[in-house]
Amino acid sequence: MNIHNHGGARKGAGRKKNSGNFKEQTKVIRVPISLVDSITPSIEVYKSQVKSGIEVLRVNEDPVKQLIPIFTSRVQAGFPSPADDHLEDTLDLNTHLIHHKEATFFVKAQGESMIGAGIHQGDILIVDKSLSPKSGKIVIAVVDGEFTVKRLHKYKGNITLKAENSEFEDIKIKGTDELIIWGVVTSVIHQYD
Amino acid sequence: MINKTKFALVDCNNFYASCERVFEPKLEGRPIIVLSNNDGCIIARSNEAKALGVKMGVPYFKVRDMIIKNGIVVKSSNYPLYGDMSSRVMKIIGQYSPIQEVYSIDESFIDLVGLPLHLINHMQSLRQNVKSWTGVPVCVGMGSTKVLAKLANRIAKKYTRFNGVFDIDELPYERYCKLLQSVEVGDLWGIGRQSAKKLNRIGIISSNDFYQADIGVIETLLGVNGKKVYQELYGNSCIPIEAIPPTRQQIVSSRSFGSDLTDFHELNQALTNLTRKAVYKLNNHKLATTTITVFIYTNPHKKNKACVHLSKTIGMTTAIKNESQIIPLISKILRLIYKPGHSFYKGGIVLSNLVKNYPQQDLFLTNEDNQRNIDSSNKSNAIRLVNKRFNESLKYASEIGNDKWRPKADFKSKRYTTSWTELLVI
Repeated sequence: MNIHNHGGARKGAGRKKNSGNFKEQTKVIRVPISLVDSITPSIEVYKSQVKSGIEVLRVNEDPVKQLIPIFTSRVQAGFPSPADDHLEDTLDLNTHLIHHKEATFFVKAQGESMIGAGIHQGDILIVDKSLSPKSGKIVIAVVDGEFTVKRLHKYKGNITLKAENSEFEDIKIKGTDELIIWGVVTSVIHQYD
Repeated sequence: MINKTKFALVDCNNFYASCERVFEPKLEGRPIIVLSNNDGCIIARSNEAKALGVKMGVPYFKVRDMIIKNGIVVKSSNYPLYGDMSSRVMKIIGQYSPIQEVYSIDESFIDLVGLPLHLINHMQSLRQNVKSWTGVPVCVGMGSTKVLAKLANRIAKKYTRFNGVFDIDELPYERYCKLLQSVEVGDLWGIGRQSAKKLNRIGIISSNDFYQADIGVIETLLGVNGKKVYQELYGNSCIPIEAIPPTRQQIVSSRSFGSDLTDFHELNQALTNLTRKAVYKLNNHKLATTTITVFIYTNPHKKNKACVHLSKTIGMTTAIKNESQIIPLISKILRLIYKPGHSFYKGGIVLSNLVKNYPQQDLFLTNEDNQRNIDSSNKSNAIRLVNKRFNESLKYASEIGNDKWRPKADFKSKRYTTSWTELLVI
């Protein structure tokens, strides 16, 4: 028989063994198309880890058996409920009580000066900073740098912050006082013990 | 002239100090500084503090005497408060344009092109709305490119006569050059310190020198990024707005400890807490991690002590996202790198190789493993919900201990907007 000494594979030619992305032998397998998207990310991640030279651990350290999950059943759609057509959103207190989310702050009431307006010690006030402070509104005011909650009263250019408890005095704003209306109280949350 | 492009940069004035003032109005007009984590360095100053000559980045202990003498108000950083106020401000800004890029905690670019409005009035209304809705003052700079909008914002901040809104495209050529003359080239957006040094070496000191220079020279010296800044000064928009933030590449959670730690369990406590924070972020971004790094350092500034950096990275075949999976791994890695006899002053973890948290976990897991994964996921969710409702009342055992690691925050204001137990009391 004639032995060819030219042609064919050259020694040392071609891609080196274990030189690919995974630094080990690879194998071609058939994969159902529906599983491709879930398998590819795991392989990509593994590839980048091998590439960066970091040590790869399995989370699951001592697998007892290796089962390949197979999807044997289809999801049952279930018997349609007669109420399905009547489903509405559940009631959400946030949408009921808060109209300007970005401008709304919660503060805690201290003292009894507004008890006539239903504001008790420890109640949570919902304050909307976006509302314009009209006369008659309950407001969070800053007088000379200090916070207070009172009912705003504007009459002929005179501004008074009224307490709703006869034991407390109203605050009449004089020309020299610095008054800032911080926000308007829109609700009070009072929880019973 | 009709601009093909038009951007605005909305920037909060002294954001951290302004947030503190919203809940403490008596600080209005007083000098304020805010300190970094662990009360280390000065990271924010109000205008009044700037005027007193307080510098950024200076260690607090070095200037403490001067601060007390001048009656400067000192605050520890309160990130829960700043973060919540920032998201409020950003949402309001977003209502003024269809395209918004949140550039940092206190800055946002918006695209104004094609808005059939008087832009100055539109931006004045934005400014007033942010101020009245949140209490945070902002300034707006407008220009046909992002570099110009950033420059315009400086002017809006510096000169009160513009009432906080300035459009740089309205300036005639001579006035524009004069303005550029007054701004150092290193202060342009996109020109870093190294680039500024290179430019200074060839006699380009002011932004106007840069503007008048030859484009070829700039490109040779600074490459394509420098060329982009140059072209943007001429009104050609090269840096587009990034409305969708890039997916996070990694989550880093690290800190310097309140006091040096030598004991394994003390380090483990600190790292467990840091891990919980990182996992919280991971879950908020709906991501999972496949690579985890743990590191601990000794203080490099301590004389006569060896400087030790210990770290280790591991990877996993399956992306994980639950506290109950990640926390034990962190402890394991720490056990591998920990060496007794050193005083560690800083430590942290990095979650990287982040992937979208796809439901299909690992195809090679058994049914029992899958069940275990679901259980751990349910457990982690339950712990999260309890902690959200009851103010961090559930902790992992590895987090409980002497709390020696907890950072100093001696001047911290309350978490007025994110914690039921710390509401403003009126």
